[in-house]
Amino acid sequence: MFLEIKDLSVKIENKNILKNLNLNINKGEVHAIMGPNGSGKSTLANVLAGKEDYEILNGKINFKENNLFDLNIEERAQEGMFLAFQYPVEIPGVNITPFLHSAINSKRKRMKEEEIDNLSFAKLLKSKASDLGINIDMLKRSVNTGFSGGEKKRYEILQMSILNPDLAILDETDSGLDIDALKIVTDGVNKLKTKDNSFLIITHYQKLLDYIKPDYVHVMVNGSIVKSGSSEIAAEIENDGFQKFQ
Amino acid sequence: MNSETLNTLDNYSKNKYKYGFVTDIDNEKPKKGLNEDTIKFISFKKNEPEWMLDWRLKAFSKWKKMKEPKWANLNFPEIDYQDIYYYSAPKGFDKKPKDLSEVDPKLIETYNKLGIPLEEQKVLAGVAVDVVFDSVSVATTYKGELEKLGIIFCSIGEAIQKHPHLIKKYLGSVIPAGDHSFSALNSAVFTDGSFVYIPEGVKCPMELSTYFRINAENTGQFERTLIIADKGSYVSYLEGCTAPKRDDNQLHAANVELIALEDAEIKYSTVQNWYPGDEDGKGGIYNFVTKRGLCAGKNSKISWTQVETGSAITWKYPSCILKGDNSIGEFYSVAITNNFQQADTGTKMTHIGKNTKSKIISKGISLGKSQNTYRGEVSFLRKADRARNYTQCDSLLVGNKCGAHTVPYIDSKNNTAVIEHEASTSKINEDQLYYCRQRGLSHEEAVSLIVNGFCKQVLQELPMEFAVEAQKLVSISLEGSVG
Amino acid sequence: MNIQDNYQINKKNIFFSENENIRNHREKLMNIFENDRFDKKNNESLKNINLENFLDFKYKYLVPEETSVINNNHDNSYSIVSVNGQCTSFKDDKIEITKILEEDYNDFSKNNTIEKNDHFVNLNSLFLNCGFKIVVKKNNNIKIKISNIVADDDLTIFQKNNIICEEGSSLNLIEEYENKNNSTSNILNVIKLEKSSQLNHFLIQDNSPSHNLIITSHSSCKKDSSYTQKIYNFSEGYVRNFHFSELLEINSAADLQGIFFLKDNNISNNKTFVKHLAEDCKSNQVYKGILNDRSKATYFSNTHVDQVAQKTEGYQLSKGILLSDNASYFSKPELKIYADDVKCSHGSTIGPIDENAIFYLRSRGMSKIAATKLLISSFINEELSSIDEEQISEIIQKKLVRYLSKVK
Repeated sequence: MFLEIKDLSVKIENKNILKNLNLNINKGEVHAIMGPNGSGKSTLANVLAGKEDYEILNGKINFKENNLFDLNIEERAQEGMFLAFQYPVEIPGVNITPFLHSAINSKRKRMKEEEIDNLSFAKLLKSKASDLGINIDMLKRSVNTGFSGGEKKRYEILQMSILNPDLAILDETDSGLDIDALKIVTDGVNKLKTKDNSFLIITHYQKLLDYIKPDYVHVMVNGSIVKSGSSEIAAEIENDGFQKFQ
Repeated sequence: MNSETLNTLDNYSKNKYKYGFVTDIDNEKPKKGLNEDTIKFISFKKNEPEWMLDWRLKAFSKWKKMKEPKWANLNFPEIDYQDIYYYSAPKGFDKKPKDLSEVDPKLIETYNKLGIPLEEQKVLAGVAVDVVFDSVSVATTYKGELEKLGIIFCSIGEAIQKHPHLIKKYLGSVIPAGDHSFSALNSAVFTDGSFVYIPEGVKCPMELSTYFRINAENTGQFERTLIIADKGSYVSYLEGCTAPKRDDNQLHAANVELIALEDAEIKYSTVQNWYPGDEDGKGGIYNFVTKRGLCAGKNSKISWTQVETGSAITWKYPSCILKGDNSIGEFYSVAITNNFQQADTGTKMTHIGKNTKSKIISKGISLGKSQNTYRGEVSFLRKADRARNYTQCDSLLVGNKCGAHTVPYIDSKNNTAVIEHEASTSKINEDQLYYCRQRGLSHEEAVSLIVNGFCKQVLQELPMEFAVEAQKLVSISLEGSVG
Repeated sequence: MNIQDNYQINKKNIFFSENENIRNHREKLMNIFENDRFDKKNNESLKNINLENFLDFKYKYLVPEETSVINNNHDNSYSIVSVNGQCTSFKDDKIEITKILEEDYNDFSKNNTIEKNDHFVNLNSLFLNCGFKIVVKKNNNIKIKISNIVADDDLTIFQKNNIICEEGSSLNLIEEYENKNNSTSNILNVIKLEKSSQLNHFLIQDNSPSHNLIITSHSSCKKDSSYTQKIYNFSEGYVRNFHFSELLEINSAADLQGIFFLKDNNISNNKTFVKHLAEDCKSNQVYKGILNDRSKATYFSNTHVDQVAQKTEGYQLSKGILLSDNASYFSKPELKIYADDVKCSHGSTIGPIDENAIFYLRSRGMSKIAATKLLISSFINEELSSIDEEQISEIIQKKLVRYLSKVK
């Protein structure tokens, strides 16, 4: 098993958010989680990434034969977990290029791979950026600073393609995107997809799933997964809303 | 704050100072203490003309009547002026060595260790350096090339001998000896420092730099720097400083005067890395520095950039007097305090002429148990029509045992002048840390990256050759990894 | 006449002179005055004023003939006419008004951790000759309007008021200072907000050029309480507004705001200071000033955040418009922060009226003077539109029109 979440319960500030949640993801699979606002989708993403505000009440998570709770935030990232944030934070003054360069080398170091030098990295970045239709000038700017909503999301996908994760979690990546931007972003995801990596796509709307075809769709309500199945569930939700699952 | 952040911080406060070594060299000192004989000794050692000695003695008599300024947010025991050596020179240094073959190899080795090679084949490209060891100037690189352009770059002692008309005209013209007690003290006992004169219309083709090193024990360093940019000229000057680790506090009271005539521009950058004391607050340099620039002519410009990471105590306000119409003053500052360091630093922009402009960007970072204060004054005098100032000062607190303080003074007496001031204080942003770590950066790397980003507006003002160094220094000031 | 002589001659008229502790305390204060060199250079709060005028004065106080408290039962409101700093005692089930008591004397000097040596506060303690105490009882929601009248010429009023809002109470307090005689009022308000109480304090200041008003307040807030102070200063005489707030317990808030309009040779000194001593508290300090002719103003603001005061939010804003090339404005917005989980900021601007805006309005057919007036009004629009007391709003509008009529 690639990612295995078993009986996970999580609370934050005395509020139970996730309740005995179970989810298994195999190599090469694309999973989508849909659910109404406040159902705990983003919490799940952040717990996987290791954000420290949460209290784990019970359950366990295995990721590539590791007990995930033994790894801190950066170790999980270095092991190949990538979270595309719903609201990527602005980091003024921190230039995109050296930032990503350090990121990729931290990962390579852990994987005992050779670090990538300045020049080859700059080349790599340029080619990936042009694949995603990102202007080279943007790479001179500070991380997420002064980006539009669409630029931020596109930049998340650029980072994903550079870091080439084993498991990519996309937290509401479609929100705030117009159709053109959505196409570019989903195109990027589809290009990255191989039989060796997996995706967990968190979304509110079915629209995203018109562009990325999931193998499985899960409906999350009130901190648990209440229904799992094929992509037909998504169409069901589009027609009837989440009401009937609640 | 979570436990991991605290751990990282703990590592930071155990920061090691890598310039803390001592050069074992015989030196020559007068008796400890400050009196007329000490001043006469210094003046004699420097082979000074009588007018210079008189000037010093006048300053000394002023000093005797003065008290230290007390308004800064600093806490330190009374300085015992009689327990300090006021002059220290490596033995046999009665005259400045003609070339490196006359310099003690130990000294050359010291500067190699500090990253300032003096040998001709190794000198830093594009930077002329004057190195000052305790009270004397050791060597000046690239001298000949500068002379061809008519640029004078030498020790102040040499300038007193060779260019008395310039010294008489400008020394003390921006910082009068009687300005306050530290300026009077410096005027009485200054030992060495740099002198720069850029002739009319000359753009100095390389960075001029002075490197100050305090080595001897219980010795104060009182350097004096004077830079004159004649009409239409340009110069960029950089100052660096370090000192060995010692348990006693050492006094450093420098005076720096800049004069920019019509259409001239002076860019003055400092990377201050005096020994800050150990993690219990023992030792370190007391840094009481007066820096002031006069934009004397129309369209002149003076720009101060400082990266302050060292010293137990920093008391320093590089200022601009904007006298010429359309003149510009700038101040860019990063001040990082850790352990028990205290910094009270900022600037003073005095707008006298019409259309004068000033800009202040200050970034303060407090860690450990340190106190970090920005203190700045912007004033528009009656005649400063259409003057403008923009001030931004941001403070970052890392840990909850330190303090960050902002004390701006804003005074406007002209109704066409516009002043804008913004300030903010916050802790290091946990969301930014999370984001960086999710991309695989360690906690320590993430903090260093974010702090460097926070300082970027200032660091990018440094001359290229030093920007990278300064960036590293910022990281080192935060890290515990460099031994 | 100097302080010592004034004190000795008028001792019998000064409150609490028979109490030994208070007498001793006053001796100490007297010593401070004798030994202090009143070093203006190092005491910013003395900027622009001639302290000697305030130290060398002729003490005069007259007991007023008539004061009143009227209770309008139907809307829980009270109207108080305070004359020469005194007020009739009054008591019902919602409020209680009494003379200031001996036990209230030390209150301020004990609690005054904020400023140790304020000469005007010390003078107030030395010559205290009037004042009253208002207690709003538990869980009541009331409104009080006080007209502060000085009825005679050449008076030196040293007044101290205590205002206490008991647990869960809510008070809207409107105070008017409109005096036309040649007197000096030195007023100290000590304000206490108990748990979950709320005080909205409006001060409308509009004295004639010959009347000096020195008003200092010290408010302290317990858990979940909030103090809001809004000052509208249209005075033509000297006014000093120094206001301090201490946030003692969790989730309390202080909001100190002021706008002032100066002209001729008028001087106004302003200071606000909020000390955060507990977690999760909020503060706001916003002053705006318009200065014409040869007027001068200072504004000092200060946010102090104690080490325990995590999750503090503190905001300061200082804005000044100089209408004349002889006016001057000095501001010092200070932050002193010892806790790390804080969001504190300040902004400050001083300048003329925006010339581009004037140009824009003129290009739409407005005269220069009309454009100037419009822009002054819009400069303080936020403050004016946030007044939810209609009664106050009307008064302020009228005074603004009067001020603007003199702008050329």
